[in-house]
Amino acid sequence: MIKINELTKTFGSVRAVDRLTLRVEPGEIFGFLGPNGAGKTTTVKILSGIMRPTSGGVSVAGLDVAAEPLAAKRAMAYIPDEPFVYPKLTGWEFLRFIGDIYSVPYAEQRKRIPELLEMFELTDFSGELLESYSHGMKQKLLIASVLLRRPRVVLFDEPTVGLDPKSIRRFKELLAGIAAGGTSVFMCTHILDMAEKLCHTVGIIYRGRLIARGTVAEVKRMASGAAGPRSLEDVFLELTSE
Amino acid sequence: MLPVLLKRKASTFRNALLSMRGWKLIKNLIFAGVGLSMLALLYAGFWRLLNYLEGVELIGPMLSWKLTSMVLLMTFTMVIVSSIIISMTTLYYSFDLKFLFSCPLDLRSIFMDKALETVFYSSWTLLLAVLPYVVALGRVKGLGAGFYAVYLFLMAPFVLLAGAFGILFSMLVMYFFPSSRTRDITWLLGSLSVAFVYVVFRFSRPEKLLRPDSLQIVAQYIQYLQSPTAPYMPSWWVTKAMVAYSAGHWATFASASGVLFGAAAVLYFLIYGLSGRLYMRGFSGAQSSPRFRGSRRLLPEQRLALRFPALRRTLTLYWKDRLTLARDARYWSQVILIAALMAVYLFSIRQLPLDTPDLKSLISFLNVGVAGFVMAAIGLRFTFPAVSLEGKSYWLLRSAPLGTAAVMREKLYISLFPSVLIGVVLITVSNYLLGADLFVSLLSTFTIAVVAVGVTVMGIGFGAIFPDFNVENIHQLESSYGGFLYMACAMGYLSLLVATEAWPVQMHFAERLGRRDPWDARALFLCAATFAAVNAAAFYIPWKAGLRNLERQDI
Repeated sequence: MIKINELTKTFGSVRAVDRLTLRVEPGEIFGFLGPNGAGKTTTVKILSGIMRPTSGGVSVAGLDVAAEPLAAKRAMAYIPDEPFVYPKLTGWEFLRFIGDIYSVPYAEQRKRIPELLEMFELTDFSGELLESYSHGMKQKLLIASVLLRRPRVVLFDEPTVGLDPKSIRRFKELLAGIAAGGTSVFMCTHILDMAEKLCHTVGIIYRGRLIARGTVAEVKRMASGAAGPRSLEDVFLELTSE
Repeated sequence: MLPVLLKRKASTFRNALLSMRGWKLIKNLIFAGVGLSMLALLYAGFWRLLNYLEGVELIGPMLSWKLTSMVLLMTFTMVIVSSIIISMTTLYYSFDLKFLFSCPLDLRSIFMDKALETVFYSSWTLLLAVLPYVVALGRVKGLGAGFYAVYLFLMAPFVLLAGAFGILFSMLVMYFFPSSRTRDITWLLGSLSVAFVYVVFRFSRPEKLLRPDSLQIVAQYIQYLQSPTAPYMPSWWVTKAMVAYSAGHWATFASASGVLFGAAAVLYFLIYGLSGRLYMRGFSGAQSSPRFRGSRRLLPEQRLALRFPALRRTLTLYWKDRLTLARDARYWSQVILIAALMAVYLFSIRQLPLDTPDLKSLISFLNVGVAGFVMAAIGLRFTFPAVSLEGKSYWLLRSAPLGTAAVMREKLYISLFPSVLIGVVLITVSNYLLGADLFVSLLSTFTIAVVAVGVTVMGIGFGAIFPDFNVENIHQLESSYGGFLYMACAMGYLSLLVATEAWPVQMHFAERLGRRDPWDARALFLCAATFAAVNAAAFYIPWKAGLRNLERQDI
């Protein structure tokens, strides 16, 4: 599970995240929504341990990220919005690298890596350098690397950017599958339609503050606009308008 | 359209200047101050040299102009090679090219914008380095402010012409072989050319110029001085115009500068025309990568990790870095330049005019300092950038279950062996060439091994204190504030070590010269303790500071 407690992050005089508190349970897919610059990426970076909070704390799988960073990182997987990977490694070598760093046994790597490459239709490109991969191919490779290490918590920042429709559908199925296995999923996204259909709960962050949190149905009820059936998009735009 | 493109560069430069405040401003002012001091030192050196040459009876003025023509020829050649290397990036791989190509801009305007950028980046450092020479020349010959104005006036077509060769070369090569592999090959060939020019220049023993007796007869020497240095090269046209100005021969000055400006105008007219036809094909081809077939077999490090599972993470980082470096043409370019540097270094050692065995042994000891400088220079290119070269992929290591210290240690391991090897080879061969005695040989070999470890640890430490994960190439890191501070600290460290060892070496020479009881145990202990303390500080402080900084670094 993921616990965020009174998390604050400031950059100079700018408060990117302001006393954020929330909790994501095991097996829950949580959609973290917000306009550009609201504090989504900062939050997910702090959760992943690549950025330090100004105050407050975060824990994943029961491990305090600041106090036990290595154990916490072993339990989670993070994919950033820009899939920067080592350009001079091949796809195959990259998966081996991740497998080795996360101590995936060699026997398991030998079995799973070809399966994952096949699953993401990367087998034919697995011997080529990553500098020749497209954005979407790199994104698929990173998702494959997440599946290779079987984490207990997954953090995604805009995971479907660059993916083709077929891959997006496969990604959704995979996400549902790993959540069903008890993994907590924390996903920042701008695709409200996907959040509405896929996420068990959503949170809306605006100017660093959490302004809405609950199931999609609960969040829809929070908006005070016109009566009648409304989409998550309508609610999002209403809550984040000036 | 070209003025619009150039205006954006001026705005970028102005904004960069205006945004400098606080620590950033202080840092840049210090940097500028140190740079100016170095230029002043260069000026002092050149002034002494030119003053000496000018004072040589009968042939003095000829000597200084001959040297000027050689300096300009060297500069011209170096700008050509730099422009070949730089133009590949600026013309075909600049980060803003895709944006510019998507704008309603004339292809030739984009090309000319990038061509001028190439000329600027490939020439400004060389022009800056030559400036103290020209100032000294003007002063020694008493030529006044007009001479400097003429020099600046002549430099514009001079660098434009030199840059044009690189630009034309890249445009033609990318037109006929449009692939990213072409860039890698060009970088390698460019580095080979620089190394070749450097080695040939040194091996031609330019010090002969100062020793007329090395040429058979005086007439031959005077003929050599009077003859043009590469008469069809723009460097000679510049020299000719400068000589003509200083002598008041206005017709010759006008014709030489006219040829210079005319050649530049014709060449850029040609480039402008050709770019409309050739640029698009090259740019389009540059986006494609050649097919690469990586193996799926276990790597040696992975096999080793099967035997020693505790080393698995370190070995994994090691093979990742090993493969990355081996496949990067930029890295191989650096290796070529280092090999040239080593060859010239050993050649210079061999050429030293030393007569007595005592003098040879003494020079062998002092040589530790020079070899240490070479080690630090290698460290600046390979070790100091190691952390920053993780680049934007650093998030992978930062989010992985790896301690920052483990990442730094692995960077150290990958640099350590080559560094110690190079240091020991340099010193052993130098000692052999100089015929150093056993004591000095052993002491210098031990010291250089320690120095190699020291500068490598410092390189990783300073690299972690000043990481820049957005940097595009090693040159930007080398010329950064952190790179400068690393070199300054490495020099300080070397000076302290050589100074510490000077005392025991003095005792050794006293023994050689037959003095009674030259060895003082207390002094030896004090030197050993100082040696250990200096090394402990060099190993510990940059490493700890780097580790602390890197752990706190937000990405």
